[in-house]
Amino acid sequence: MAKSLYDAKDARGIWVYLEQDQGKLESVSLELLGKARQLASPAKLKVTGLLLGDKVAGLAQEAIAAGADEVLVAEHPLLGQYTTDGYTKVATQVIMDGKPDILLLGATPNGRDLAGRIAVRVRTGLTADCTDLALEDGLLSGEVTGFGGGVLAYIKCPNHRPQMCTVRPGVFSPPAPDSSRKGKVTSVPVELTKDDVKVQVLEHVIGEGVDITRAEVIVAAGRGCRGDFALVQELAGLLDGEVGWSRVPVDQGWVSRDCMIGQTGYVTRPKLAIICGISGAFQFTVGIEKAETIVAINLDEEAPIFEQADYCVVDDMFRILPPLIDAIKKAHGGNGGR
Amino acid sequence: MSRRTDSVLLEDESWERVDNATGGAAAPCFQCGVCTAICPWGLVKNEAVSVRKMIRKAQLGLPDWSKDIWLCTTCQWCESRCPHEVDITKVITGLRRLAWKEREVPHGLPTLLWDVYFDGNTLGRPPSERPLWTKGITVKEFSPKDDILLYLGDDAAYDRRIQKVARALVSLLEAAGVTFGTLGEREPTCGDAVRALGHEEYLTEIIDTNARFFKEAGVKTMVTVSPHCYDMFANRYPNLSGDFRPLHYTQYLLELITSERLKFENELPMKVTYHDPCYLSRRNDVFDEPRQVLQSIPGIELVEMERSGQDTLCCGGGGGRMWMETAAGERFSDLRMQEAAETGAEVVVTSCPHCISCLEDSLSVVAGSGLRVLDLAEVAQMALQAQDAPAKATASGRA
Amino acid sequence: MRPLNIIVCLKVVPKPEEVKVNQETMTIERANVRSEINPPDMNAVELALELKEKHGGTVSLLSMGPPLFDSYLRLILAMGADRAYLLSDRAFAGADTLATSYTLAEGIRKMGEYDLIICGEESSDGATAQVPPGIAEWLEASQITYAEDLEVLPDGQSVKARRELAGGYEVVQVPLPAVVSLKVGANEPRFMDFDRKTWAEAEGPVTTWSAQDIGLDEGYIGLQGSPTIVSGVAMAPSAERRREFLSGTPEEEAQQLLERIRSSIRLD
Repeated sequence: MAKSLYDAKDARGIWVYLEQDQGKLESVSLELLGKARQLASPAKLKVTGLLLGDKVAGLAQEAIAAGADEVLVAEHPLLGQYTTDGYTKVATQVIMDGKPDILLLGATPNGRDLAGRIAVRVRTGLTADCTDLALEDGLLSGEVTGFGGGVLAYIKCPNHRPQMCTVRPGVFSPPAPDSSRKGKVTSVPVELTKDDVKVQVLEHVIGEGVDITRAEVIVAAGRGCRGDFALVQELAGLLDGEVGWSRVPVDQGWVSRDCMIGQTGYVTRPKLAIICGISGAFQFTVGIEKAETIVAINLDEEAPIFEQADYCVVDDMFRILPPLIDAIKKAHGGNGGR
Repeated sequence: MSRRTDSVLLEDESWERVDNATGGAAAPCFQCGVCTAICPWGLVKNEAVSVRKMIRKAQLGLPDWSKDIWLCTTCQWCESRCPHEVDITKVITGLRRLAWKEREVPHGLPTLLWDVYFDGNTLGRPPSERPLWTKGITVKEFSPKDDILLYLGDDAAYDRRIQKVARALVSLLEAAGVTFGTLGEREPTCGDAVRALGHEEYLTEIIDTNARFFKEAGVKTMVTVSPHCYDMFANRYPNLSGDFRPLHYTQYLLELITSERLKFENELPMKVTYHDPCYLSRRNDVFDEPRQVLQSIPGIELVEMERSGQDTLCCGGGGGRMWMETAAGERFSDLRMQEAAETGAEVVVTSCPHCISCLEDSLSVVAGSGLRVLDLAEVAQMALQAQDAPAKATASGRA
Repeated sequence: MRPLNIIVCLKVVPKPEEVKVNQETMTIERANVRSEINPPDMNAVELALELKEKHGGTVSLLSMGPPLFDSYLRLILAMGADRAYLLSDRAFAGADTLATSYTLAEGIRKMGEYDLIICGEESSDGATAQVPPGIAEWLEASQITYAEDLEVLPDGQSVKARRELAGGYEVVQVPLPAVVSLKVGANEPRFMDFDRKTWAEAEGPVTTWSAQDIGLDEGYIGLQGSPTIVSGVAMAPSAERRREFLSGTPEEEAQQLLERIRSSIRLD
């Protein structure tokens, strides 16, 4: 087997890759810090954040408040934008110097872009899209779902280091920030030249998009809305929630992928999810099943979504939503919410 | 004022290609334009769709990539008026055949064909789910000793609305003491969608495979739910065994009634109008049989729409249109439902899955009239279940 | 603009909705499950064929799997691809993504010159999305992941793509050779040409290679070459939902619903 570049016996600590964009830490990185802290404390392990970028040291405090004991900051003008080649080179360097036992990354597009590259460069194992993490006799066990989501598999990387895992945003809850936490911020030297970075970023657009993974109330619509989101939007507004959708509206061209919930979209964990006109195939439900309460409205009494719902209404969403909206408005005392 | 010259270079090679693809069907056309005048698209669009021009282009060997060739529902109304008996459907599906070669097809259609290829049905569902329509009832596997093979078709198997039609048909067959079975998970798709969309090469493969399969399975008399499947088996499939006898269920029901295996003794008071599916009436001259079945049910009052029998108005679902978007306000079925409502009937009865889907989609246009859409098999089943005392007939159609 | 040598890496996967778990043996029952070409790989093929139409060149396929993949590769030849290579060997079994990307990368080296390698973003069975970056790293090539489109620049030396980001998108340009992973649904895969299908089935060039044929180091492939192991499986716990069906008029149902969700929402 291709040997990893450093031995397990020399590996120490849990590292979390801190993904940032335009000076803002991705929430998934904070979620991972929270989980890392949970795993590390009983085992008395150190949690280190790995932060790459240009003039981003100011973000270290947020990472410490979320659970990091130390943040390694690798800054360089050429790291201002994420590029596969620049970031892989620098991250690998820091990893080879620091020899982490475990490295966690958020399974965002860039997180996966980077993780896949690092794993091969460092000749180690990478377990993707974990739904849970645990430490068993010092070894990280990553839980992944298989196929129809009905099977859970537990993956370990016994001999290679770092043990790498990616985790989707929203799988773990964000930790309550503890500003009393103290930690070290270490600036690490970066060797990078223009020749190392062949990727050119021509455009980079971050929308004021909705982060549906943090929404407390979600009203989601699918095929049954036939492209008409007006009622769904009104209901979401009244409940101070966000509008989401299944894959069908995206495929039909009614909406973009922004708030697409499901296996190839977002995993959400709202307190309340109201699901309208969505049949409930597992590719969708994996993105909503963590909701505390699920209401399903569907014309088809045999729709699979009803298996996953707490309250089931067999009817056309266009017949149920108007009286529901009225009832909520009345309950609001006529204020009508947002 | 400059003279506009639209000059086009006609090429032999192109002419041959078009002639091959259309089987020379455009040749007899003498450009009278009656087809354009009768085409139902003229009833819903501001400008009529020029069927005449499409045929003219085919005559000249100019392939037509226009959107118009995909509008045709293959209803044959134009053919029924054509003084030269031009096979207009063949011209248009031939042009579609060329469009596939050039990959000039509407979005969504390649995906549909891949679904048919990989899943064996137009709905992209697993073959293992074909038998789910039998939930709660028992339907056995076909054996060559059976009276008939009951051929479901994709919609009756997978579409919840049409599954009700299949179940109604089962109770009628059982009441008549018919021995029957289905091909279960192995039932192959009939190929109508592929034919309608013009992919002749793929269709040939489907027909070859299925014809041999039916022969090996010992299929003789087969009864279909859909007129589209019936049309395929009756007109496109070879009679490999010599015994292959496809029927639409309305024809078979009439046979059962005539031979007194099926009797309707109880009253079912219902004022109905009958919408003839194009693929039954115009294409295959089956328009008497469904009416005779209806009229053998005591209590049924049948009122006709003006455009009925072989002059029926297409619902809009044929020609592959079920898999293409039809803008609201341009639906033939809206007009059809209005026409049905004007007869004062309580129920529009039809006998085709596409017609049911299209007509039910247009129920909102006649909201308030109380009009419902039911399949003939559903009405017949209700008649079997009706009590002697006039009871409220339960609706199995959507309100 | 020079012609391009494009390689598409693809996989045949079990249809996800048909995969069942045998509760007793805790294994996945694949026996009666039908297969399909991994959907994003179909999008990758379509992109490759469009680029070939535009720039000229060849589209070759590469896949790692059992002999049954052969007939699927021929379907893709029928779509317009030129030749296919199947890496098939028992020794490849049990490979995790490190071993898989190594094996594919070596297969690519054996195939000869290449400008562009296109993959689907992830496969529906493993869904790790790691193989494309892995291949790129082994080959020391550029990579663009989660691409929504792809353009070859006029000098034929780089490619440009719009790619998905966590909160938006970006447009990047990288030098060739490059590995591009394409988002599912980025285009509509064309249907087969049946004349070409006849050719593909009768004499389409599909070459099967074993581990020995490409001179692979046995320690880097299959189970042996995989740093990760499956240490256990379990049934996913089904969420215990109430599944309470409401009934009545829409107004009544709305009222009942409101009563039940009151505690989950804030009402002033």
